[in-house]
Amino acid sequence: MKKLISTALALVLCAGTLAACGGKDAGGSSAPASSATPASSAASSEATANEPVTITHWYWADNSEYSAVMQEMVKDFNATNGKNITVVAEEYPWDGGKYSENLFTAVMGGGGPDTASWKLTATPLFTANNLLANLDDYVANWADKDLIEPSLYDVMKQASGTDSIYVMPWNTQVLYVYYRPSMFKEAGVEVPKTYDDFLTACEKLTRDTNGDGKTDVYGFGMRGSKGGQEPWGSFVQARGGNFEDFTTPEAIQGMQDFIDLYTKGYVPPTATADGFNEIIANFKSGKTAMTVHHTGSSAEMVDTFGDDVAAFPFPAGKGQWTSMGDTENVMFESCENKDAAFEWMSYLATGKGQETWCVATGNVPVSKEVQQLPQFQEDRFMKASIEGAPYAGIFPILDTTTEWISNVWPNTVAAALTGQMTAEQAMQELQKALYA
Amino acid sequence: MPANQTTSPAGEGPMRYTPRKKKLAPRIFSLYIPIIAILLFLLFPFYWTFVTSVKPEQELYGAAVTYWPQNLTFESYRKLFVDFNFLRPMGNSLLVAVITTVVTLIVSMLAAYAFSRYDFKGRKGFMVMFLTNNMFPSVLLLIPLYAIMRKLGILYTPTALVLAYTTFTIPFSVWLLNGYINDLPLSLEEAAMVDGANRAQAFIKIILPILTPCLIATGVYIFMQSWNEYTFAVMFTNENNRTIPVALKNLIGQLGVQWDLLTAGGIITIIPVCIMFFFAQKRLVEGLTAGAVKG
Amino acid sequence: MQKKKMTIWPYLLIAPALIIVLAVVFVPAVNAILMSFQNYDLRRPNQIGFVGFDNYVAVFQDPIFWRSLWKTILWVVFGVGFQFVFGFALALLLNKNFKGRGIARAVSLIPWVTPGVLIGLMWRWIYDGNYGVLNDLLQKVGIISDNIPFLAQQTTAFPSVIVTIIWQGIPFFALMLLAGLQGIPGELYEAADIDGATYFQKLFQVTIPSLKNTIFVTTLLRIIWVANSVDVIFNMTEGGPAYSSQTLSVYIFNKGNSLNLGYASTMSVLLTLLLSLVAVPYLRNMFKKD
Repeated sequence: MKKLISTALALVLCAGTLAACGGKDAGGSSAPASSATPASSAASSEATANEPVTITHWYWADNSEYSAVMQEMVKDFNATNGKNITVVAEEYPWDGGKYSENLFTAVMGGGGPDTASWKLTATPLFTANNLLANLDDYVANWADKDLIEPSLYDVMKQASGTDSIYVMPWNTQVLYVYYRPSMFKEAGVEVPKTYDDFLTACEKLTRDTNGDGKTDVYGFGMRGSKGGQEPWGSFVQARGGNFEDFTTPEAIQGMQDFIDLYTKGYVPPTATADGFNEIIANFKSGKTAMTVHHTGSSAEMVDTFGDDVAAFPFPAGKGQWTSMGDTENVMFESCENKDAAFEWMSYLATGKGQETWCVATGNVPVSKEVQQLPQFQEDRFMKASIEGAPYAGIFPILDTTTEWISNVWPNTVAAALTGQMTAEQAMQELQKALYA
Repeated sequence: MPANQTTSPAGEGPMRYTPRKKKLAPRIFSLYIPIIAILLFLLFPFYWTFVTSVKPEQELYGAAVTYWPQNLTFESYRKLFVDFNFLRPMGNSLLVAVITTVVTLIVSMLAAYAFSRYDFKGRKGFMVMFLTNNMFPSVLLLIPLYAIMRKLGILYTPTALVLAYTTFTIPFSVWLLNGYINDLPLSLEEAAMVDGANRAQAFIKIILPILTPCLIATGVYIFMQSWNEYTFAVMFTNENNRTIPVALKNLIGQLGVQWDLLTAGGIITIIPVCIMFFFAQKRLVEGLTAGAVKG
Repeated sequence: MQKKKMTIWPYLLIAPALIIVLAVVFVPAVNAILMSFQNYDLRRPNQIGFVGFDNYVAVFQDPIFWRSLWKTILWVVFGVGFQFVFGFALALLLNKNFKGRGIARAVSLIPWVTPGVLIGLMWRWIYDGNYGVLNDLLQKVGIISDNIPFLAQQTTAFPSVIVTIIWQGIPFFALMLLAGLQGIPGELYEAADIDGATYFQKLFQVTIPSLKNTIFVTTLLRIIWVANSVDVIFNMTEGGPAYSSQTLSVYIFNKGNSLNLGYASTMSVLLTLLLSLVAVPYLRNMFKKD
């Protein structure tokens, strides 16, 4: 089933970004199965439109500019929706992912918003407690529904563990490898074509540039803290491992590679505690020659390095995989004006909001129309995203996933990196915790 | 330093007791060096926060650590005040903290006095109850508390925070003040009561003045707890009444920490509180002299 | 203390405090205790039900629980211990007369004023293994030759976070004890002077005995506070690497955030029992004079 998710995702991104140029596709055939019951409510909204309605929306902002962009979008929506809908968007701290738990507390306590920005990993928790509104009828009657790849809807369904759509796609990010062409040149390294090349490159790029006997540049910026499971997954899959069973010899070998990079000193010794902030800082200060992230950081990379930064997709070994980040929107069951709320959600998914947000943040749009915009077709980092799309996937979304990502993975991997556990023991631990 | 009867030692608690002129050399070792060492430890991170707030980002991650920015920039402060209206969360925090402090101090002082000066049935039980009250982590209480606030109709208003903070500062404050009152000699009030004052008069005229420094200390404790609290603040407020910790936390997204804004925000929340305390601390001394005169 | 006689006054005096506390916290607290006997995992709401002592058995068999408990003990002993020593020293110093005392008193509160959100991040930044000022300082002084990744090593992460909590707690003791010092009658020192007592004799024979209650209460409250504190550790290491800086309160926090509330409640009940055990000698001492 998880296989299915990744395959579906691969298809989405592949079709979405590449085939978009091929014009409208025949997506009608794969319309959601649950569209059988027509939505009376959706229809009636047209009739009774213009009573003033307020929708409360919660979101987090990855930096203060994004926060401003969101408020502008809200202003634009409120001015242009023509149905007397007023969205009030309230910012909540991302708080290392605790955004979702705060949202849960509020919705459980009866004071939550009508709609909210979303991470797929939170879905099982909320659907298990019947907190999300079922969007099947809305999507079925939605004029823009074919602008989003059908397989993306499938991913949303899988995450909820049901056959229904509870989560509305918004944007995605595909991880790829950032590298410094100048450092590759100095070290005489070609852009890796295979996974083995990549490992060799990590070694060769680790250099003592001033001859004081200490390493000055590390080959790879490893993320060993929370969130590091995403690049790590690429190692596991490159060896031919999978996420259904972390204890296969292939998966264990992938883990071993990860450990070796650390013990051999090809990554900074701080790796066990390095999160996003540190890997980006290390790359930007020239401490590392490669690191894994997505288009969200491309603008500041270019600011820092100009042309001396480029990207390649995580290369293939026996297998090939890269992580797809995701951001969605949801509507809560407690929302009293679901029609109006859906109006706002569709503005974000396929309307003007989709374009404004994705252009401002550099995320991969989910709307095929927006994907066709030149900004997305010409950008060199977007290209690496697009190349990675066919094998991009997500970790299995179970009710244990959040805890696994936040606590189990970082601590277990840190123990493995520092030699407290073998690769095999670590993988058994990870297996046990995810499939508890 | 062995007794030197003519010179009074660097006496603590100089009630009616003024240390006379001191020789400089021993003071360097007994006073200046240790206090400078401790203050250095306490203040260095503050200094570092400030330096970080006025450094451009490239310099933060530069090859060499700089102890004073090469390119000084106050852009982050401008942004906070102009683009973010940081004064609003500061005002909200101040409002919540001041009301909490006043309410908690009054009810805690009454309770602490009762615990200290009366013996009554259930006294120990109530005291233990107050103590264990704060042992439960808030993460477990959050969902029911949120529901209670909503039912009371005060969710997303400053009242919700005041109520939550009062609840969680009362127990400690009662204990703190009880400890202070227990340390005060009972003879002070008894003397007054022999002179014909009733208990309330004795309390107001005798205990309260002596207790002023302790009330200030406890008040500062309550103020700090409310000023810096995050977990309840993020749940019980919305955009309109956000407090400082939430506003600061909003500056840390998935794409990392906005060091400039975060540290600048920290600096401008620290300074006003320090100035407030600079004036409050004078009462630490005034209180004792007032009490000493009457005692 | 007043002799025991039936009077309504003490009850009236404690009533406001009691009512506020009970109104808000009673139901949630009882609820939390009840959850410890249930399989209360909100990720699986259909399976919620009473399970007796199953959670307790599971907790006792959880090696991470025992590790975290040990870390909690170290955290409290070293954290509060050093906070007290330095805080007391600072209180004595700030009680002396010197120029700039007012300013020194005001600025020494800074660690306490600093928002918790910022404390963890700032110290993390100071300890940073690549750009951290601490590494730079130690290298300049010549104590180390290579950067130490303080928060990335299991051996150094926990001591590093303890230093931070010490830093954060010194002002608490300094202020509380400074206030307590004001209540000591000057005659006691004058009498000691006449007896020819040394500085340290006066410290141990006058100051500390006079502050006994204040010292008891502040250390007890601080032990409870530090044992339950989460944000410094969480913002610096999240309990890592490899659980090496995870105290029980951080473990509870993580489990609580994962919505496994039954398990988190069980550990909270155990932590509360443990803290109550610590409180017993304190209480006995406090109530002894009755």
